[in-house]
Amino acid sequence: MSVPVFKAGYLPGVDDADVTWHRLSLGTAHAPCLVDVPELNAEQMTALAQRVQHASRRHLKTMPVSDIVRVLDKATARLLDSHDVYRQQLERLLPQATGFDAEMVRLSLTSYLQTFRGLQLHRFVAEDFANPKVLDEFQPRAQGGWTRALGPELLVHVWAGNVPALPMWSMVSGLLVKAGSIGKVASAEPVFATLFARLLAEVEPRWAHCFAVMWWPSGAGQERTAFALADVVLAYGGNAALQAMQAHVPVTTRFLPHGHKLSFGMVSAAVLSVHKAPSVARQAALDVARYDQQGCYSPHVFYVQRGASVSPQDFAQHLANELAGLQHKLPRRVLALEEAAQVGAWREAHEFASLNDDTHATHTVLGAGAGDATSTVVYSDRALPLTAGPLNRNVLVVAVDALEDVVTLIAPQRDYLQTVGLATAPEELLHLGECLGQAGVTRICALGAMTAPQAGWHHDGRFSLLDLVRMVDIEASAEREAERFTSYEV
Amino acid sequence: MNTLVSELLEFIARPTVSDDDFNTLALKLFAHQFEHNRPFQKFCQGRGKTPRVVKSWRDIPAVPINAFKDLTLSCVPPETCARTFMTSGTTRGDVKGRHFHPTMAVYDASMLRNFAHHVMQGDAKLRMGILFPNEVLMPNSSLAHYLALALAHFGTPDSAYYLDDNGLRTDALCAALQDAQNASEPFALLGASYSLVHLMDALQARGQTFQLPAGSRLLDTGGFKGQSREVPMDAFYEQLSATFGVNRDQCLNMYGMTELSTQFYDAGNTTVPSVKRGPHWIRSRLVDPLTGQEVSVGERGILAHTDLANFNSVVSILTEDVGQASDDGFVLLGRAQGAQAKGCSMAVDDFLKAAQA
Repeated sequence: MSVPVFKAGYLPGVDDADVTWHRLSLGTAHAPCLVDVPELNAEQMTALAQRVQHASRRHLKTMPVSDIVRVLDKATARLLDSHDVYRQQLERLLPQATGFDAEMVRLSLTSYLQTFRGLQLHRFVAEDFANPKVLDEFQPRAQGGWTRALGPELLVHVWAGNVPALPMWSMVSGLLVKAGSIGKVASAEPVFATLFARLLAEVEPRWAHCFAVMWWPSGAGQERTAFALADVVLAYGGNAALQAMQAHVPVTTRFLPHGHKLSFGMVSAAVLSVHKAPSVARQAALDVARYDQQGCYSPHVFYVQRGASVSPQDFAQHLANELAGLQHKLPRRVLALEEAAQVGAWREAHEFASLNDDTHATHTVLGAGAGDATSTVVYSDRALPLTAGPLNRNVLVVAVDALEDVVTLIAPQRDYLQTVGLATAPEELLHLGECLGQAGVTRICALGAMTAPQAGWHHDGRFSLLDLVRMVDIEASAEREAERFTSYEV
Repeated sequence: MNTLVSELLEFIARPTVSDDDFNTLALKLFAHQFEHNRPFQKFCQGRGKTPRVVKSWRDIPAVPINAFKDLTLSCVPPETCARTFMTSGTTRGDVKGRHFHPTMAVYDASMLRNFAHHVMQGDAKLRMGILFPNEVLMPNSSLAHYLALALAHFGTPDSAYYLDDNGLRTDALCAALQDAQNASEPFALLGASYSLVHLMDALQARGQTFQLPAGSRLLDTGGFKGQSREVPMDAFYEQLSATFGVNRDQCLNMYGMTELSTQFYDAGNTTVPSVKRGPHWIRSRLVDPLTGQEVSVGERGILAHTDLANFNSVVSILTEDVGQASDDGFVLLGRAQGAQAKGCSMAVDDFLKAAQA
């Protein structure tokens, strides 16, 4: 049986024969997927970077933002079209490469792409720039003078592979600020960036040389070359990997790391009525099931308030049932032996805790022990601090008396906090938001929306576009002084 | 319990046993442990596996080795036990796995019979050098006890320890090796894998090698665990063979754990990874860590062992080691990634490092 090989990468102006191809074995033992990724040497990297900078100066920096949005909207529309050849390739290759269930990838991809349509993209720009024309030309400032936002000449991306299609955020951000881009694909997901680059070049042929997609081994010489040429390096990955990268980024280059994050859910007693609790549990289960908890925004723990007609333990049971149900609709991917061992160890640690306290059932493992359980909910009656679980649909439900109590439980993880999926009544929303924000959380959304950040979100509390640009000011004094030098007499 | 111990000793002493014999005794031990060990009982009940339904040793729930840290797995009060072996506690702070042995009779019988077969290979006594601290220095180390047994039962009077709280006694060991070489007397060097690396590094620095007489053998155990430089297996045995002049088929490796009372051996490391085999009172399965089901033939799985010599703790344990079946045994493929380093002998290197400081 021969396994087809997908050739990844997008290298404008470079002959395939001139680069080194590195083979990645993805997929599972039962459904292997081979991908070849291109590796450039330092010399080729430098030449390509120069071409990308040149082309983006000529074709991208001269284009009004609204025209860029139109091109991106066209590309997104094609990716949303189930008959489109690129969409079909994504639907085929992403599940193969990542092992995620095909239906889950299809559904998640569609909702994800909806945040990249024209309307959303305009909002994305407006989120960071009150006057988006500042990206096109100098704009007058109210206090006098002029200002203009310039994107990087070269933006280098280092992508992670935990969630399919993740590179779209930074590729689109780069294009919106008119940056030339070089991206390194993750070994775990080299598909999306490749196909998106090819599609963009097809939709707007003038952009063909404005970006490149490739691969290099972490810490290799090419990485240093790329970082040295970049104005901005935008990197996703584990903190150790980011730390290693940071050491290679020149001090004059802006480094924007997106490291490990920890997210969780909170359920107020206000929503735990007999009628509403099951649907809330269903939304929570979807947040857990989507991408098998691999996202930085995926929940590890749910803090559930006591005192309503549905107890935290009942909620945990609802959640376990919903997760078991989702296994039929959106099956979890097959785990590698090592991942399975990690999940097993986590389950067992909780099981041992429950075996140790003989008198009270303060610790219960739901969903395990049933043989082939693909998800676990562990319920704890004790207020456990936020910790990272083993992913792959294994969560902890922790009972608390008041949602404010959560603040102390999450405090040790301050540096890692990101999303909170919050189910509560309107009167509690801002108060809890304030508490969570102070604690280090950067995003609060509804349960069921944790894995689908809204267009223009402040990723890890930062500005997606503003962080990329350099502002150029013409101060009022220059304008005032210029008045003295008119060719005509006043 | 005393009847169980006698039955076990008789079982271990038999030349061979049938599948039925193994199954019967395994189920008997399971029933005993289920009855007398409350945490284990709850563990089994959670899985719906009670003596009433379990009819094959393969269905006895395998307890993950982490449970030795979190639970008290003993059928008798721990304080009444003759010995308690502990893991080194390097993976989770000070939490150590504890294995309680009410009597050492079973452990010792298991070790001696198996060691005689695989290591002594027909010899009654050998001159031994031990690269590990003795039992006084490490009273809770199962490996220290194992090596002490080897020395006491199979070592000639001039056998000795070459590692103590002052570190590696390289000079004394070199003298002993030279002596054995001159006298054409076979020598057995036994110890932790990383201690052998430290020794080879020390010998290399001196530019010294040996050509030990025919019949000599080397036995390493435990791996490197970050205690010495990581040496690829093939290079390790190549260097061992070259340094001591012992053929790779006499460079033996023992695979054992604090949580077991029986060890596995290979028949030398001419090729790696070598096949590990256990005696008739231990059986191994390769399982999916989540379902506990055996993996298909030829697939990688997590090793689960059913060791009848574990009469007081739990008869079946689930390791964190990845293995693959191979004719009459299994090969070890390392630890499940993400699972932390086991470090049963971290303490030893602490000895070494402290001594060097």
